[in-house]
Amino acid sequence: MNLPTGRQAGSAPSHGRGSTAATQAPAKRRGSPYPYWFVLPAGAIFGIFFLAPTLASFYFALTAWDLFSIRFIGFDNFVQFFREPFLMQGLVNTLLFASITSAAKTVLGLLIAVLLTSGIFAQGLLRSIVFFPVLVSTIGIGLMFAELMHPTEGAINLALAAIGIDGPGWLTNPSLALFSVAMVDIWRGVGLATLIYIAGLSTIAQDYYEAARIDGATRWQQFWRVTVPLVRPATTTVVILSLIGGLRLFDLIWAMTRGGPGFSSDVLASVIYKQYQAGFYGLSTAGNVILFLLIGLIILPLAWWFNRKEVEQ
Amino acid sequence: MKRRQYLIGALSLAVAFVVFVIPFIFVFLNAAKTAAESATLDFSWPREWRFWQNLVEVVQARDYMLLLAYFNSTVITVGAIALMVVSGAMVGYLLQRRRTPWNRIIYGFVLAGLIIPPAVVPTIWLLQQIGLFKSITGMIFIQCAYGLGFTVLLYRAFIATIPRDLDEAAIIDGAKPWQVFFKVILPLLKPVTVTVIVVQSITIFNDFTHPLYYLPGAENVTVQLTLYNFQSQFVSQMNLLFMNILLVTVPPLIVFVFFNRQIVAGMTSGAVKG
Amino acid sequence: MARVVLNDIRKSFGAVEVIKGIDLTIEDGEFCVFVGPSGCGKSTLLRIISGLEEQTSGGIEIGGRDVSLAEPAERGIAMVFQSYALYPHLTVRENIGFGLSLARRPKAEIAAAVKKVAETLQLTPLLDRKPKALSGGQRQRVAIGRAIVRDPGVFLFDEPLSNLDAALRAQMRIELTELHAKLGATMIYVTHDQVEAMTMADKIVVLNGGRIEQVGTPMELYEHPATPFVAGFIGSPTMNLYEGKVARQMGCDTYGIRPEHLTLSSDEGRWQGRVRHVERLGADSIVHLDVPDLGPLVARTTGDARIAPGEALWARPQEGREFRYGAV
Repeated sequence: MNLPTGRQAGSAPSHGRGSTAATQAPAKRRGSPYPYWFVLPAGAIFGIFFLAPTLASFYFALTAWDLFSIRFIGFDNFVQFFREPFLMQGLVNTLLFASITSAAKTVLGLLIAVLLTSGIFAQGLLRSIVFFPVLVSTIGIGLMFAELMHPTEGAINLALAAIGIDGPGWLTNPSLALFSVAMVDIWRGVGLATLIYIAGLSTIAQDYYEAARIDGATRWQQFWRVTVPLVRPATTTVVILSLIGGLRLFDLIWAMTRGGPGFSSDVLASVIYKQYQAGFYGLSTAGNVILFLLIGLIILPLAWWFNRKEVEQ
Repeated sequence: MKRRQYLIGALSLAVAFVVFVIPFIFVFLNAAKTAAESATLDFSWPREWRFWQNLVEVVQARDYMLLLAYFNSTVITVGAIALMVVSGAMVGYLLQRRRTPWNRIIYGFVLAGLIIPPAVVPTIWLLQQIGLFKSITGMIFIQCAYGLGFTVLLYRAFIATIPRDLDEAAIIDGAKPWQVFFKVILPLLKPVTVTVIVVQSITIFNDFTHPLYYLPGAENVTVQLTLYNFQSQFVSQMNLLFMNILLVTVPPLIVFVFFNRQIVAGMTSGAVKG
Repeated sequence: MARVVLNDIRKSFGAVEVIKGIDLTIEDGEFCVFVGPSGCGKSTLLRIISGLEEQTSGGIEIGGRDVSLAEPAERGIAMVFQSYALYPHLTVRENIGFGLSLARRPKAEIAAAVKKVAETLQLTPLLDRKPKALSGGQRQRVAIGRAIVRDPGVFLFDEPLSNLDAALRAQMRIELTELHAKLGATMIYVTHDQVEAMTMADKIVVLNGGRIEQVGTPMELYEHPATPFVAGFIGSPTMNLYEGKVARQMGCDTYGIRPEHLTLSSDEGRWQGRVRHVERLGADSIVHLDVPDLGPLVARTTGDARIAPGEALWARPQEGREFRYGAV
């Protein structure tokens, strides 16, 4: 029964009963057990409500668009964006804010995580306390700190005054406002970084530390030679998540300063909202396009770099 | 050694208390004060406890707007999560089980959804075109679309732990592809579904930015919007503002107490794999 | 009724051909074992028969019907997986009845079918448990029960005993053989364990590198292995095989002699060697010899043979038990 192709299987002369029944063979090829229509529901929602507006924004960013009319003007919005100092300030502030907050969250997150995995007293309670602000409404936190940071009556400055320090106008001083908001953002977000680092640290086998100790490594050397390299995946996650969050941040700034005083604490996201409110829809959308180009330009190479490093290890 | 860990712990607890707990106590104390007393923003014990009266007053403000806001936020959260869980799990399943070039494209979209901020004005334009601007329905779809990336990744990682033999056993038992998914796989996704529900409900409930853009006006306010709007209204009534902050903080606190484990699982899902 | 015929089955994954043209007929009611080293294509072949994998070319006929392109559920087969693949969220009862409930059969009919299968396999007291609460052997039985309830013409087993401990495995071999006798269905069984193949099969198919090396009854393969590969694969301890110069001196490309077909003696034989090691199995002893000009030679002898390492011994192959492949 050496037949050239399988399609003739049923007609193999040696199988009496088989040859008659085989004529009813189904002819169609079978479908995969994992059909592509499974993406349809999610794909439709995602496509309509996220993807389509995102793609459309590349067109709208090139228009002068307000309540009444829409007109194609090429790259004028972008030119204006980079010429107007208060718009440029938003861009610079965004970068500044994102770098400060992610650097602080990464470093503090790792240190706190190391502390909270070293078997100290009330470790579990401490983890909960540090993490809880992550879950609280950002607006609530923003409003709360806006009051705590009140220049004359705020609890922070009152506390400073009690030990003889004249506290600054945290949110009223133009050169300080952005940093004050950044501090609150770190306060709010360090718990997440800590949590991610704790998860990362828990995957490091104790053997490494024991081997390092037998090799005579000090605690400091253990931290730099064992902990830091081996929590790398967690570091990747923390850096990328905090950068994305920092670059996109809107609600905290809006609740605390609305970009003020003046434009001193404006970031791209608040500029986008202000231009939208003012009816400059085209300009607002151009801001949006700049924001996701910025995010793409920072995150993609970074993610690629981190991944490559990981493969090399 | 034992003594040292005890000392460090006690010290850390003291620092954590000052840094993380005192602000909330400040909110709590001020929420119980009279308007006049809270105006000074003191960190002091209320001379007169008006906790209950303030609570009633906040709830009744602007025609019980806070209750409406809680209702709206709940509807949006529940609706968006229901859509997200079913449709996201299906994509995660497909991505994990079927390895083809299309997967890379789908995966690219998933990551884009996680990273790229939404284009707000074009979204408003689109919502207007299809009549969903300022509507709860529109907000449900929006929140679902924004949360899908996270959901799909979580499901994909979890489904990788379910042996493919189960799918195949079901196929041999005569299950159609949708039956394999809904009767065999979906019931096994319960742990990760709880995580998705908990994490996303906190995210959506706490979301301020998107309702601000897509739900302007008084009739479809969400909890975060009322909190923000009350800020201007309560300028002379700090006690009520603080009471409002307190009320908004309570739901996540409750969720945290009951679902600590799932929140941690969801929020750290990227940490190990990178 | 359920004869299985494979016609020139080929399967490629990308550029790699893993099944290189298989022609095979498995008769109705036969217990057929596919055996071979890992990567030989035996599991892929089973999955092609089940329909879980689609052949690149070639035809499959089950019970006289061309099922080359049929859905797995339409082929009249049932499969028992290596991992058992029990649905963790369903009870034993629901696991066994799952296929029937998918087919929307009446509840009473499902209940009766499940009850009957459970009695056959002594699962009745376990029906309301979840798979998690079962032992390995019990899970195995549920997996078999799930197959039986479909009343298939052909049972497919994918290394079903590899997750069990040795004692349970021996017991399950007997149970499966008895089950086969009771059901009279065609069974195709994949394993890498030649003991399972020898003890259970009516027909053994030895696969190697995507091709059939030999098909035959266990004793045919044992007594007349067609190739050196089969000779080395079937039988335990494995046959002594020699290639190259040593084999050429004996007039062939590959020379083979089974350990149990060597007679050991202290004063005469064909080869003289020194005992390197003796494995005492109780009933038997396995003697490892170092023979100059031949190499290592393994012989089987009685358990009480008084042999010590270092001793010089003679070995003689028994008459008519030598294998010469590629004889000139």
